[in-house]
Amino acid sequence: MKKIATAGAIVGLGLLVACQPAAQKAEAQKPKKKLTAYEKFKIAFYQNRDEWQKYCSNEAQLVPKGISVEEFKKAMLATIKFPPGGKVMGDWKRGEKLFGDPKKGGRSRRGNCYACHCGDPQIIACGNIGPSLRGYGKKGVDPKQTYMRIYNSWAFNPCSAMPRLGYWGVLKPEEIADIVAFLHSPESPINK
Amino acid sequence: MRRKELLILSVIAGGVVIGTFAVAEEKLPEHLRELLELGMHPGHVFVEEGKDYYHNLKGPNGKTCATCHGQDGSRLVGAYAKMPRYYKDIDEVADIDLRIYKCMTNYMGFDPEDKKFKKKYLKTYRVPLATYVASLSNGMKINVKIQHPKEKEMYELGKKVWFTRAGAREFSCAMCHTVLAGKRIRLQGLPNPVKAKSYKHWPAYRFGSDKMWTMEDRVRTCFRAYFLFLNRWDEKKDWVKKPPFFAKEVIAVELYMKHASNGGIIEVPGLLR
Repeated sequence: MKKIATAGAIVGLGLLVACQPAAQKAEAQKPKKKLTAYEKFKIAFYQNRDEWQKYCSNEAQLVPKGISVEEFKKAMLATIKFPPGGKVMGDWKRGEKLFGDPKKGGRSRRGNCYACHCGDPQIIACGNIGPSLRGYGKKGVDPKQTYMRIYNSWAFNPCSAMPRLGYWGVLKPEEIADIVAFLHSPESPINK
Repeated sequence: MRRKELLILSVIAGGVVIGTFAVAEEKLPEHLRELLELGMHPGHVFVEEGKDYYHNLKGPNGKTCATCHGQDGSRLVGAYAKMPRYYKDIDEVADIDLRIYKCMTNYMGFDPEDKKFKKKYLKTYRVPLATYVASLSNGMKINVKIQHPKEKEMYELGKKVWFTRAGAREFSCAMCHTVLAGKRIRLQGLPNPVKAKSYKHWPAYRFGSDKMWTMEDRVRTCFRAYFLFLNRWDEKKDWVKKPPFFAKEVIAVELYMKHASNGGIIEVPGLLR
């Protein structure tokens, strides 16, 4: 018994010693100093922008000359991912909370759609930056189109004010499908 | 009797005029309107507090602000109208928040390495002192000049930051405050601080959050809405909420906006939503 324990200890020690250089190497590769708040800000504000945001960072905040709008849209379309099974309509009640929780006066840090759009007529505190979505489900828009617009609005209106919510992962594909259901479902207050 | 009525009426009218002037379209809550009618602006508490620090807060070497800048800020009248600007002694462009901090560490003997002091400054001394010093320029015209190479560099940076789209919300200052100015986020009207010379009301008391803010607080907090992130957007684990105090980009945006406000008459503290 004792022998086995000793043998085990030796093997263990050997493994530890063998692994040490690798561990040290990994540690050396990691930046030793913690990033300062300013370094974090600079990475987030400059480095983490994608090339498309860089194109839109001009005085008009639109697609600049020399960049093809069609190419832009095509590239954005290619980023769109669908939920498992390709189901673009989920649960409208969950979608309602993501769109803007009526219990919180239409607030939501997730979709936060009421910041720019009106929807449920009960929610009066809605912005006028985007078009009103009241009665949206009756307009005959294909739910798949709605899904794609929410996932990556720049596939339709490059550089627009509307965030690419799926593209950056602010909303998961399933969550976008829930919002699509909230917009299209006949039972949803949007369409009543 | 008549005279008394007239007096009350004129006081109320005066209060309303002052109120509407600074608040613009936002409706003032009842308790604040009553205070204004009595001639009391919540921001004035900060001016008084700042005045007290100015005269009585002693640095480790025994100096106060008044030692160099004169009793009642006599030598600082008009200083805020030209800020942010380049200062030779610190060799950089500073806004009021940074300028006062540098005064305290360079001339009053506070240790720039002392994190406790820096925290105390940022939390306690900064806003009242900045508000007091800014109020010394009341009635004067904003007159920011872009002359020194470092001022030019900062102005260009400010302009660049103004138009930079970033973060998971694709925001830029310009998107909301230039392109969409006049529209509403929910019920909140989006002002155009560049055209409207809004800088004249800052530092301002914000009745929405019951806080006195300098422009540095205002700009830093704007970045929260960008949804900036370090690795991949995650509200709980990876949200870079604000740039730190004295970040170059923040001072640069202040310079850009204040230059655009040139000619505006300083009226501090402001009263805003």
